[in-house]
This record gives sequence, C-alpha cells and structure tokens, in this order.
Amino acid sequence: MATALAAPVDTTIEDPTRRPPLVTGDHDYQSITDTIHSISEHKTPRAWYIAFAVSSTATVTFFLLIGYLIYQGVGVWGNNNPVFWGWPIVNFVFWVGIGHAGTLISAILFLFRQNWRTSVNRFAEAMTIFAVVCAGIFPGIHVGRVWFAYWLAPYPATRLDMWPNFRSPLLWDVFAVSTYATVSLLFWYMGMIPDLATFRDRSKSKIKQFVYGVFALGWNGSARHWHRYEKAYMLLAALATPLVLSVHTVVSFDFAVAQLPGWHATIFPPYFVAGAVFSGFAMVITLMVPARKWFGLKDLVTLRHLENMCKVILATGSMVGFAYAIEFFIAWYGGNPYEGFAFINRAFGPYAWAYWTMVSCNVIAPQFFWIKKVRTTPWMMFIICIFVNIGMWFERFVITVTSLSRDFLPSSWAYFKPTPIDMAMFACSFGLFFTLFLLFCRYLPIVAMAEVKSVMPVPESEAKNDAQA
Amino acid sequence: MSKTWYRSLRELENTAEFQEMLHREFPEAASEFPKGLSRRRWLQIMGSSLALAGVSGCRFEAETLAPFATRPANRIPGKTQQFNTTVEIAGQARALRATSYDGRPIKLDGNPDHLSSGGASDSYTQATILDLYDPDRGQTPIESTGGSKFNRSWIEADTFLTEQFSQFAGSKGDGLCVLAESTSSPTAQRLKTALQDKFPQMKWFDYSSLSPVNSRGGATLAFGKPVRTEYDLESAAVVVTIDSDLLGQHPEGLRNARSFSRGRNPDSEQMTRLYAVECEFTGTAVAADHRVALRPSQIAGFLASVEQALASDEETHAADESAPWSQQVFAALVDDLKKHPGQSVITVGERQPVEVHALAHRLNQQLGNIGKTITLLPDESSADTFDEFVTHAEANGGSMLLLLGGNPVYDSPADVEVADLMEKFENRVHFAVYPNETSAVCNWYLPMSHPLECWSDATLYDGTYGVAQPLIEPLFESRSQIEFLAGLLGEETDGLELVRQTARELYPELKSTREWERVVHNGFHADSTAKPITPELQNFEGPAASTEWQNPVEVTNGELEVVFTTDSSVLDGRFANNAWLQELPHPLTKMTWSNAAIMSPKTADALGVKDDDVVRLELDGRQIELPVYVQPGQATGSVAVAIGYGRTHAGLVGGDVEEGVAPVGVNAGVIRTAGNRYFATGLKVSPTGRREELAVTQDHYAIDKVGLEEIHGRVGDLVREGTLDEYREHPEFAEHRVHHPPLESLWTEVSYDGHAWGMAIDLNKCIGCNACVVACQSENNVPVVGPDQVRASREMHWMKVDRYFTGDTEEPEVATQPVTCQHCENAPCEQVCPVAATVHSNEGLNDMAYNRCIGTRYCGNNCPYKVRRFNFLDYRDEMEAANRELMNLVLNPEVTVRSRGVMEKCTYCVQRIQNTRIEAKNERRPIGPNEIQTACQQVCASEAIVFGDLNNPESDVAKAHADARAYGLLAELNVKPRTKYLARIRNPHPWLAPPVESAHGHGGDGHGEEAHGEHAHADERHDAEVSHNSVPAPTQELREEQV
Repeated sequence: MATALAAPVDTTIEDPTRRPPLVTGDHDYQSITDTIHSISEHKTPRAWYIAFAVSSTATVTFFLLIGYLIYQGVGVWGNNNPVFWGWPIVNFVFWVGIGHAGTLISAILFLFRQNWRTSVNRFAEAMTIFAVVCAGIFPGIHVGRVWFAYWLAPYPATRLDMWPNFRSPLLWDVFAVSTYATVSLLFWYMGMIPDLATFRDRSKSKIKQFVYGVFALGWNGSARHWHRYEKAYMLLAALATPLVLSVHTVVSFDFAVAQLPGWHATIFPPYFVAGAVFSGFAMVITLMVPARKWFGLKDLVTLRHLENMCKVILATGSMVGFAYAIEFFIAWYGGNPYEGFAFINRAFGPYAWAYWTMVSCNVIAPQFFWIKKVRTTPWMMFIICIFVNIGMWFERFVITVTSLSRDFLPSSWAYFKPTPIDMAMFACSFGLFFTLFLLFCRYLPIVAMAEVKSVMPVPESEAKNDAQA
Repeated sequence: MSKTWYRSLRELENTAEFQEMLHREFPEAASEFPKGLSRRRWLQIMGSSLALAGVSGCRFEAETLAPFATRPANRIPGKTQQFNTTVEIAGQARALRATSYDGRPIKLDGNPDHLSSGGASDSYTQATILDLYDPDRGQTPIESTGGSKFNRSWIEADTFLTEQFSQFAGSKGDGLCVLAESTSSPTAQRLKTALQDKFPQMKWFDYSSLSPVNSRGGATLAFGKPVRTEYDLESAAVVVTIDSDLLGQHPEGLRNARSFSRGRNPDSEQMTRLYAVECEFTGTAVAADHRVALRPSQIAGFLASVEQALASDEETHAADESAPWSQQVFAALVDDLKKHPGQSVITVGERQPVEVHALAHRLNQQLGNIGKTITLLPDESSADTFDEFVTHAEANGGSMLLLLGGNPVYDSPADVEVADLMEKFENRVHFAVYPNETSAVCNWYLPMSHPLECWSDATLYDGTYGVAQPLIEPLFESRSQIEFLAGLLGEETDGLELVRQTARELYPELKSTREWERVVHNGFHADSTAKPITPELQNFEGPAASTEWQNPVEVTNGELEVVFTTDSSVLDGRFANNAWLQELPHPLTKMTWSNAAIMSPKTADALGVKDDDVVRLELDGRQIELPVYVQPGQATGSVAVAIGYGRTHAGLVGGDVEEGVAPVGVNAGVIRTAGNRYFATGLKVSPTGRREELAVTQDHYAIDKVGLEEIHGRVGDLVREGTLDEYREHPEFAEHRVHHPPLESLWTEVSYDGHAWGMAIDLNKCIGCNACVVACQSENNVPVVGPDQVRASREMHWMKVDRYFTGDTEEPEVATQPVTCQHCENAPCEQVCPVAATVHSNEGLNDMAYNRCIGTRYCGNNCPYKVRRFNFLDYRDEMEAANRELMNLVLNPEVTVRSRGVMEKCTYCVQRIQNTRIEAKNERRPIGPNEIQTACQQVCASEAIVFGDLNNPESDVAKAHADARAYGLLAELNVKPRTKYLARIRNPHPWLAPPVESAHGHGGDGHGEEAHGEHAHADERHDAEVSHNSVPAPTQELREEQV
C-alpha cells in the first residue's frame, strides 16, 4: 500500500543530487482522491458556516454600497480635483495584481515543467478568478455614469456612428482585463474537468451528480480524452502565458501613458508585472497556509511548495525594490523637475507615511526570506505575506494618489481623504472574494488531483488498484 | 329664543385667533402665495414681458399681455436681446447692459458706452442677476401680529397704509419717521421732497452702512464742500494708494482699473508705478510695485511724514538696505513724488479718518495733480444722517417708522440698539427687496421689486443721469421704491411716468419722446455728466506727522488692531443670500463661504495660533469667535475681519435661523461700534481650543516644507515676471525662463487653416479681482457646490485665479494668474478619453461632448492645468427642489446644463463663437478680428484677457501671441496651449529694484539669434538647472502655513 514516501520527510533539502518528493505522507492515488473529495463530501463544518455568514454579509453590503454609489454619484467617495482617481482604482490594481499568481503558476510553470505547481495551481487559479471578479467591479462602478459604461465596448453603434477611442489606455485595459478574465476562467475550468468527473462519480446526491456531470462534459478518462485534454491544456497554457505579462503591462499603461509626473515612466510595465506576481504569490501563501492546515493538505502542499513560493516572492520583491530605486534614480537623472519633485514628495511629502509603509512592507519584509528558517516556517511566511499584501495595496495608493495630489500647478494641489464609503467598499470587496473562495473550497476540487497523481513517485505496477477509482 | 349654533368650541369662545381665521382663506400655516413661482404665473409673466421687451416695456394694465399671434418685426425667438439699464448697488449706481432671452434677463454686464465701466463689470454686478431669481426674496406683504406672521395682499397693506397716512395728513406728518437707504435716484429724491412738503412734520433720515462718510468729510474739510474725484491713472507716473482699494472696491474701481492698466504698458515711454500703503492685502496691491503693510492707525502718520518730506528742500536719499522696509519704500516714494509733479495720484481709502482724506487732497493740490491726473466733480449725494435718527428716535419715538430698504438692525454699529429704538415706534414698516433682520422686528414687511423689474433712475458717480428700465415684470407681489413713495403721496403710481416726470424737470430736452427714448435706449443721458470744479483749498490741520510707522510692530495681545473690511463676496451682507458670491474665492485668501480672523504669520506666531484655530476676538467687552486664516502681508499686529457674514435672516443660502439654516460665517458687526466703524485698537485674541476647517480653493491645507520649497522653485516658471529694466534689456526673457529639449511630434501636426481660436492673458494687467470667475459662472451655468464640497476640493468654477506669494511673509509680493482650459492643440485629455467624449474641433477648440462623457475622469488626471471639473454629485438637485425651480430661470439657455457624473470645463464660450459665426454668415461677411468676446474677457476691467482668431493677424490675440512677453504655461510639455500668458513686468523704483541679472542665466550672449521655437540646447541638464536657479530666491522663507 505505502506507495508514497512516508512522512516525515524533509522536502526542503538543498542538495541538487537528491530530488525531494512532491507528495509526502502515506499517500496513494486512492488516498489523494479521498483527501480532496472528502473536503466537499463531509458534512459542512460549523466554521465554514460562520466564515460564510461573515463574508456573504460583507458581499451583500458591498452590493448595497454599490447601489448607494450609483444612486448618489461618485461623490460619496473621497475623490476630488486633482485626485480624480482614488481608492477604487487603487483597489482595482490591487485585485488585478493578486490575480496574477494563478495563471502564472498554471501556465508559465506548466510550460517550464515545474512539477511542484500541480499541488497549488488549482487553488491559485481560483484565487485569480475571484480576484479578477473583484478587480472588474471597481472600474465598472468607478465611472460617473455607470449606465453608459457599455460605451467602452467597441460595438458598431449605428445610432451614434461612433467607436471608442482606441488611443486611450483605458480602452486597452478593458480588452486586457476581459481577455485575461476569459482565458483564466477557461483555463481553470478546463483543467478541472477530470477532477469534476471524479467528483461526479463519487457524489451520492443526485443534484451533485447532475451538476458535476454537466460540467464534466462527459469525461470518462479514456486515453483519447486524456490525449485531447493535454493538448488543449498546453495550448491554453501557451495562450495564457503572454496574458500574464500583458494584463498588468496594460494596466500599467493607464499610468505610464499619462503625462503625470510619477506616472509617466517606461519602467512601469516590468515593474507592475513583477509587483503583480509578488502580490499574487503573497496572497496564495496567505490563503494556502491556513488552508493546508484546515483541509489536511500538508502532504500535498509540502513545505517545499511553500518554500518555492517564498523564493518567488523574494525574487519579485527584490525586483520591485529595485524598481523603486530606479524610479528615484531616473527622477534625478532625467532632470525633469516635475518628476523629481513627484518622488521627493512621495518620500518626504504629506504622504510619506504611505510611502514608507510601502517600502517597509514590500522591500524590507520579503528580505527575511533569505533566512531558510523563515521561508520554511508557515506562520512566519504568513505574517510576511500579510505585510506584502498591505504593502502592495499601498504601492498602488502611493502611485495613484500621491502623484495626482501634487502635479504641475501648485494651485491645484490638494490632499486626498478617503470617506467611510471608500473604506467600507474596499473591506467589503474582500467579502466577495472570500465568499467565492469559500464556495470553491466547499464544492470544487481544491487540488488538481489528476495532475498531482501524475507527479507522484509511484511505479505504474503498484498503482493498479487505483485504476478503478 | 334662538339657539346659538357654533361650529367649534373656539367659535364659541370667539377668540381673536378665531376671528383672524375666519377672515383668511387658508389656515395660518398654509402659505397663500406659492413659495416659488407657479408655472401658470410664470407663463403670465412671460407673455407680458415678451410684449414689453421693447423700450416702452411696462406692466400696467393698458400695456400687458399681448400674445405673439404674429411675430413683431425684428424679433427672432431664441435670439438674445440687449437693453441698457441702471442698477444701484449700495447706493452706487452702475450703468449696465442686460442680456435678455425671450423676455427673461439672463446676464448683466457693464454698459460699454459709458466710461464708468467701458463694458466691464465686477463680481457684484455679475451676481445681481441671481438675486432676481432668488425665491427667498420677499414675495408678498407680511404682517406680524401677536408673534405670528401672516401673508397679506397689497390690498390689505394699502388699507393699512392709507389708514395711517390719512392720520398723518391731519397731523402734517407728526409721528412719522422715515429711515431710507441712501439712494442716488433723482426720482426718489423728488418724491421725498414732495412727501416732505405734504407732511412737513415728517422726519426723514438717510442711512447706509457703506456711505462714504470719511471721504465726504475729508473733501468738506479740504474744500469746504463734498467733492468726488476722478483719476486719470493712464497718464499718471506715480500712483500712491493709502489704505485704498482704488482698482477694486472704489466706486469707480472699474474705470480706475482700466485706466491704470492702460498706463501700465511696459512698451510705453513711461510705465505707471504703483505704491500701496495699506493694512489688509487688497486687490489693488496685487498690481503694486511696492507695498507697505501698516496698521491703519499708523497710516495717517505715514502720509503726514510724506507731506513733511515733500515740504523739505533736502535731497531725498535712498534708505539703507538694512532699514525697515517701510522706510525704504518711503524714501523711494518721496523721491518719485518729487520727480513727477503733476503726474502723480495720491488716493485714500474710506477707512482712513477725515483728516487723512483732506491731507491727500492737499498733497494732490500741492503736487499739481488736480486738474491733470485728478478731476474734481461736485458731490450731490445726500449725507448720512443715521446719528440724527438715533437721537430723534431715542428722544421722541413716534407712531410710525417707515424703513425704505436697508438692514439697520444687522449692519448698524453694535452700540446702537436699533431694534430697541424701533420699539419706540408704534408701527414699523419695512419696505425692502429681501425680508431680513430688520423686517423681523417690524410689524409689516412690504416687498420691493428687484432693480431689473421696475422703472427707476439714478445718478452715476460722475453725475450722469442714468435710467433703469424693467427687463421683466415683477416675479412676486412687489412694488418699486418710487411707485411706493408715489403711492404714499396718493399720486399716480406709473413708474415710467414718475421717472419721465423727473427727467423732464431735470433735463427739459428730454421732454420730447424721441429724446427720452434715446436716453432709455442708451441707458444714460450723456449730456448730464457733471462738469469739473476747481474748489479753493481750505486751511485745516492735517494729521500729525509721526515716526511710529517706521519701526516694526511688536505683537502685543490686547493691543492688537482690528480692521473691518467690506467683503469681496457679500459686501456689507446684502449679498449673503447669493450663492455665486458666497462661493466666490476671496482674491487673496481664496476663502469661500465664511469670514475669518485674518492675521499675518508673525502675528499668528506671536499669538500661538494657526490656520483654522477658532479664536475669540474681544474688543471693549464685546466678543466674537472666528477661525484664523494666516495671510502673508496683513499688517503685523492687526487682525482683519470681514463684515457682512453671520446673517440670521438672509435666506436659505446665507442663513435663516427661523428655517433652521445656520448663518454663513460670523457677524463681525457685534464688535463694531459707532466710534470704531473701520478699525479699532485694543483687540485681544484668545484661542478657544476648537478648530473649524475653512473652505478654501487654493492651499487646501497647511502645507509642508517639501511642498513649500517646491512652490518657491516653481512659481517663477509658472508666473513669469521681470522688472522693466530686465524687459528692456531682454524683451523675450519670459520665453527663455524654462528650457527644454526640442519639442517634436511623433506624427504630422494638424494644421488649422480656417479659424484658430486662441486667448492671451496679460499678467501685467490682471489684478485678480475675480469678476471673470463669476461672469463665467453666469454665462456657462456653472453650478454652486457649497462649503463642504469646496472643502473636499470639488469646486466647479471653470476659471480659477491662482495666486502665489513670494518674499518676506510680512511684506510679500503676490502674483495672480487666471487659469482656465488652455485648449491645447496637443491635448493630453483627448488622447486618454476611452469614449472620445473630448475631441478637437477643426478650429482648435478642445470640445467636450457632455452627452458622450461617461465620467472616467482620466482626462482630469492627464490635464496638467487641472482645469477640468467633474460633477461628483448632482449639483443641480437644490434647484430642482420644490419651490426653488425659479432659480432655473437664471440659466443661459445656450449652454448645456451638465448632469451628474459628467466632466466639464471652459469652452472658450463656444456659444458666443457660434452666434457670431451665424450672424456673420447671414450678413455674408467675415468674422471681425475682435468681434467675439468671451465672458471673462468682456468683464475684465483691466483688459487682461483677449480672445480671437490667431490666423487673423489683425486680431488682438494674434498680436498678443506675437508679443515678446508671450509664453505658454507648461509649454515644455509640448501640449501646445492655445492660451498664452504675457509676462508680468514690475516697475520698481531704481533704489528698490533687484540688480538686473541676465535674463536667463546665459548673459547677453546673443541667445536671441538661436531658433527660438525650439530652445534646444546641447546640455539639457544644465538647462534644467537654469530653470530652477533663475527663480528669484525669496528673501525670507515663507512659513509653513502660508503658501
């Protein structure tokens, strides 16, 4: 029976001659399926109900607030002149950034044959989708006349005989985010089909059988199905890979193409992508550390998985820190006095508190991952990742708000103050995110069972028992 | 035996209230007349006013209501018409031209044919149109009895008045007392005389809180009779203003501003030099070359010292550079006055006592200015007799007090308890446009018509006879003042006839209807202008010379000086219910919707207070509490407080405690006593520990050091200025101040072959008076947002006037810069709009398609001038509220009213361009070079703004763009702004001038021969440094709170 390596095994060894196992514990194919399916099979735990009550209340509040916003106008936020974009855009970029890790893990790491991705990719992709949902709401409700937001779409408006302005980065943004959301959703769903079939087969309730059955698209595990599945998966991965880079590049164009000092910088695309990966991985760890404990996934999501992600955070965090430094260097070296001031103002002006919060959280905090003890201790990495999440929100705040609050003419300078509505909407957007996530944890395979099985060090002969499963 | 039937117990009791109720159609609480204006009533008025839109328009039975079954000749529906009229504001008559749209006046401007404005106007004139449509105006007579108010009809009011006056007819007017707001109307004067003849025992007193008591007294002291002064600032070489807002609040401010700006031409032989000696920073001092901030009590001594120095034969020497600033300026001033006999002007503001006014007259006489730069005119106005009223009322009382206009309960000195005095009269009748604090203690309030609703006349400052014609039938149940007076006489009450009769009596040539119609058409009788007089200078004792002004003031709490200022928004409180004016930023403080205790940084430091701290101001046992506003340039040791705020019965905008609307600001009149109407010493300031955020439109917060240093570095690049010598040496210094890499385009630039609209703003002329801001608001339906939204930095003005201070905090220089949409050819806003709601016209206008805008606000972010305005909320909702719809009538129908969620901004008054275009096309002619005027240009008294076609070399704007001083604001961003600024030239006295540097850090190295279009330099980093270093370094760092 004992096909997988028995625990405890140190999966975090640094010896390149030895390949540490990706799945630990006394696992075989059957037990993997059991572990994952049991999460949704068992009676819903009370903790889930409590969490769901909280998050769904926040979600409802979120939509009520949106209703209030549409009724009253965007003046319910703290936005002003010159800070025409405030928290909603900060929140949008924050959520889009988070939505980067999933597709990166599933697409890019897949193409690079990084097998450790299999245990975390489903989870990360789900997080991506939900983050993009949250992200998509903010620019939608951000416009002054929400009921005309569809004018952003390039549809042949016969009555108006008019197309949107294709020179505007906001329009690119509409395309980039919607493409990304579509492809991510497809990729996530497609990857889930074999596992949905497993759930279908193991479900006892008729409703579940029917619903999973519909979404499993008649999967029967035949070699032909597997063949086509893997081809399609690879094609989608190839399609999604440039999107990982493009979406945040285009989001960064919202800023970089504008001529505002502090926004108008060519470094923005790589800097934003690095920042997005950084924040995305931080959010994966933030969610994964408690999840692997609660759902008993420690054997599937091993310390090595977490450590790998910490290394990604360390790398991208350092890139982000480097970008901050380069921004300052260019502001000085470029000789543009307005840009020079924008950066001095960030660091020493009225928003210095936000700037230094950002630097501490994004540049200093991840450096602790140089220490092996830190990147292999879940609670420590959890704390650091919380800091990174905070820091990345502040990064967007610093870019958006401080640059706008003081631009060219000192007469138009003004300090931005968020309103309680601003804060409530941001907080409640987490409610939406967690509501979706809780539903995912409860009803969908949170680990890609089929893929994990493919990377288990189990000889073919010994796994025949599982063929029936 | 008959039974007694009763309808209720109250009838049985048969109380007075019940009797009252029986006679009323509706119960007490129900208003009998709708608060706003009903649609039906509006249609009635519209119909009649359409019929009366011509010269003979009036509203009496024989002439009313003629529907347009056939269209009158030359009348095109939807096309605006213009009528000249005269409007009196606080006793000052203004020759105006009203624009009327289908019988409804929508805009007021100066009458371009009269010299007093030349077509310009100030913010009060601009905002007066809003008062016309104010539903808070008196709508019907109101009687107060037994603590309740009842809406009455004029029939009831007339019954009451007739009853009273029939008694007075018997007693020859004994017991009748009239307190009238000062007016210059000859018809009112004639009717007053008639009343006095009919009721010889009647007492008549004139009162206005703004009556020019001191200047009148000063002239009487100097010449034995009151005179008015007209200035020719254009040909004056030296102008000295002593505590005087000569170009602003002076009755002839507009004329002075125009004349001054024409003399302020750096290309002329002699550019006027302006010295300002004053306490609080006035608009005039914005234009000053040298300003000295002195406490008002020191100013008399200063002027006396000037007289002393002029009288001595000693040669004047420059003061030592280490000497206090006041001494340095004094020396230069005396030197200038000595060098320019007959070419100078010394003028004193109303605040200064009588002797200082007289002394200025004497100095002007001695310097030979009178007859050259100064013309004296007879002053026919009646003197203020409020003091006599107080004495009379205290001693006698009477049976009836009739108040004609005015608001003495609110604006009379604090130590005169007018309300108590009024109680000495059995009946108190207040006849005024607005029910106010005074009406609240009267038993009858009678509504007076708005000046645009009635026939009247007035005497302009220069003595010209002006005629006021109605532009619309009264919106409410109101009467004009002359009709009311004629009614009291029991005479014919036809306003037109009353005015004509006066005109016939005064000017026999106006007997002919043709001549009369010409005068009504012109708005004034040109031949009636007063002839200059040359009165003999009397002997009098001038103020004592003192040296107190020479030394810096030590700030001692308890011995501070308080200065009462008339406000740039509410004047003396009469405009408190005018939302445009309440939201108009003060020219210097940029404060809206409030007054404050204004003090200099040094004073605030010494008192240990800072911006927004609420302090208690105590003076002779009276006290008020106000937030602090720290203002560089306020004389050290003085605190300026604007009067006119804290109105308790102004209306739903300015405060109405009965309706639960808190007063706007604080009433400074509470500490203003008869002896200290203008300033007083002995003020004590103590912090209360509370804070109250003032609603300011610039510098929304106490600024940090980083920002402050940056502003200092930047202002020189934004508001470019140089001295006259610098300009003569390097005329193009302004364009060279900022250097940048070659501005190249990625694509072929669009060419504009037809019209290319553009604007030029001459910073040398702008005095930051704000008239353009209100004019734009009136023309373009700019909404009012209220103090909370201003605090949130969401004001909507399409035009803002930026102001920056430089130099010492106690003696700063200030620069103003009107900024509105620059209509960049390479507009950053257009590129980023995802729905193409803001696009370029083929004539170079940056157009805004409101219908297409979805409100992403990206354009606002990308606009380097931040002149785009976003409707964050529905700023029109108050106008749509029940009973407030009347206010909609003020809207200009040619300009779209923007909805919530839409971006808006300056359009270069595109509706005016189109109107002219249509007109020119109909007449088959090209548009003239200066034919189109934007609203801001039209009002500008100093002619700082010009607009027109850049492709027409004849146009003023094309010439201005070609001027050596022209530069584009932030042009280094390659946005190609269509508005150019002309650099400001200061004309300092050589002793006080900074050494002439080379214009741009390059020396006179033949820079001018390079390609100026590009300013390309090999060493760009060097240039970037130059752009910073060439900014004149402030002599002393401004403290953190100021700039």
